Amino acid sequence: MISISRSALLAALAAAVVAAPANAHVTLQGREAAVGSSYKAVFVVPHGCAGSATTKIRVQIPEGVIDAKPMPKAGWNLEVIKGKYASEYDFHGTKLSEGVKEVVWSGGKLPDDFYDEFVISTHLTNALEPDTMLYFPTVQECEQGVSRWIEIPSDPAHAHDSKWPAPGVKLISKP
Amino acid sequence: MKFGPTTRLIAGLATLLWIVCSATSASAHASLVSTEPSDGSVLAATPKTIELRFNEPVTPAVITLIDAAGKTRGDVAVAAMDKIVTLTLPRDLPRGTQVVSYRIISADGHPVAGSLLFSIGAASTAAALPASGSAVAVLIWLARIGVYLGLFVGVGGVFFAAWIGQGASGEPAFMGALRIGLFSAVASLGLQGLDVLDLPLSAIATLAPWRAGFATSLGPALLIGAIAMAIAWIAARSATMTIAWVLTSVAMLGVGGSLAASGHAASAAPQWLTRPSLFLHGIGVAYWVGALAPLAVMARRRKDRLPSVLHRFSAVAVPLVGILVLSGLALAIIQVESFAALIETRYGIILLVKLALVVVLLGFAALNRFYLTPIVAADYKNTQALRGSIAIECALVLAILAVVAGWRFTPPPRALNAAIEAPLAVHIHTENAMFQVLVSPGAVGSNGFVLQLMNGDGSQLSAKEATLILSLPERGIEPIERAATLGSDGYWHVGGVPLPYPGHWHMRIEALVTDFQKVALEDELDIPGH
Repeated sequence: MISISRSALLAALAAAVVAAPANAHVTLQGREAAVGSSYKAVFVVPHGCAGSATTKIRVQIPEGVIDAKPMPKAGWNLEVIKGKYASEYDFHGTKLSEGVKEVVWSGGKLPDDFYDEFVISTHLTNALEPDTMLYFPTVQECEQGVSRWIEIPSDPAHAHDSKWPAPGVKLISKP
Repeated sequence: MKFGPTTRLIAGLATLLWIVCSATSASAHASLVSTEPSDGSVLAATPKTIELRFNEPVTPAVITLIDAAGKTRGDVAVAAMDKIVTLTLPRDLPRGTQVVSYRIISADGHPVAGSLLFSIGAASTAAALPASGSAVAVLIWLARIGVYLGLFVGVGGVFFAAWIGQGASGEPAFMGALRIGLFSAVASLGLQGLDVLDLPLSAIATLAPWRAGFATSLGPALLIGAIAMAIAWIAARSATMTIAWVLTSVAMLGVGGSLAASGHAASAAPQWLTRPSLFLHGIGVAYWVGALAPLAVMARRRKDRLPSVLHRFSAVAVPLVGILVLSGLALAIIQVESFAALIETRYGIILLVKLALVVVLLGFAALNRFYLTPIVAADYKNTQALRGSIAIECALVLAILAVVAGWRFTPPPRALNAAIEAPLAVHIHTENAMFQVLVSPGAVGSNGFVLQLMNGDGSQLSAKEATLILSLPERGIEPIERAATLGSDGYWHVGGVPLPYPGHWHMRIEALVTDFQKVALEDELDIPGH
């Protein structure tokens, strides 16, 4: 092993302690969301792919999440891909069996040094289980390379071990 | 200058605030952008330093250099400047594959880990380690030269005598070469077996090495070669010219077949190009080299038919040199792949030496053809210069054969794992997926991985991408990541993966099924020690 100077180690330790809560991946802002209500999903993109600028963000809308409406962003093309849901959902008295399955922001350029947010307004149906995690697998495409934030941990307690965790939010019962 | 307690408190708070801000503002994992030298590179000499460049400032936590001898080195200086971590290396690193395993702390406090592999001279291979001792290696080399002599001087000489020379001039030379060749072919087989099984020379008296030797691709090659030499022997004793013509032609085809059946080049892709190239190259060499001894004898004896023989020899030799050069070039390009490999690998250096000798040889051949042959044609007794030139050609040919025989010990840059004997198989099965992994040779050194990806029910899993990730936690080697490529056989391949040390490697295979879904399976991979 190679010895690192003590001050460097201390600095690293300090950085580790102070910065632990900071987001290092593409994540969802906010920790919790209630089922049976509307949910504004804010995707936080803190950096590019290994230093390369982000040019495209693709978000997969998970089953049980309906009425997805992305917020347009200046400088980005916006596209939604629709498809059939696995089951039928009741939405204010109407039965919905198809809708947005994927949202794509493309054509923009978000340099590695900058930060941005991508927003989708959704409705979380009652079909979703409270006290579980809801994941939105997200693909970040860059000028060079792709980061796939699509890993869904089998045990949420060890979600930290994952290198490419999908953005997730904890579901709670409607207050 | 003096500060009051309040000033100091404010200064302290300001410092704390600055740390918090600076640590949280860059809320990202650092990622490795590039390294110098690059991952997996093979260098001619030990670099002075190694640079790991990240996309943001990092703090090194644990950086370990494990050298090719498997020793964890304590004499490496690490310095981090902004986004670059620099390692100053000791000068006395052994040849082979070295591993730099790094764990750094990114600005957001998360550790990021990985490994960088680079090789000095050549990648560590099981063959590069002292296997069966230098005595066996020297004997393998000598036996290989002996087989070449038998095939080229022997078979080529008999062919020349039958078709071109109109008589058995130089018969002692090519008959002697046939004897040496047949003996060497047999010896090669046993020595190959000793090498494969890693046995001492004394074990040559047992059956095991012979069986093992024959089981390799060299077995059929030597068998074809020995049959070709035997046929040539019979041809030299044949009663009529017609029989000699037929037999020597068959023997020449055997020379080509023997070369095309084995060796690094024969196992290279595309086979439709490499095997025919080797076949033609072998026949071309046998024609040319086989002619040298008889021509030298005729020149010494000042035979009056020498001018006509030279004329007939040249008529075939000139287009033949073209075939030799073309087939040789095709093989060299396939094997070496890049100009850098010519000087950075032992295989490339041997090729360069061979090419240099061939260029000189071609020079003498041209001298013979365009300058000395007309002299002899004018006066068949004036052979002084021709004899000298042929003698030099003979010496050059011998040198070339000796150099080429050295290829036996150096895998070509194309693939350091040409000799696939018994791949290591790992079967990973979960509810959702089943991965079959073949690791060849499954030993310390450069390994090829073949991944067969299946769904849980055994049907083929069609993936968009597949990634192989290896780590050796017991030695502190952080993950080594390699992308696999989908072959035409439907399997995913990763070539040239260095496994520098034995031990319980951890293997993770990730298959990207759709853009949003990936399947990952993990297992242990036991690499045996020596």
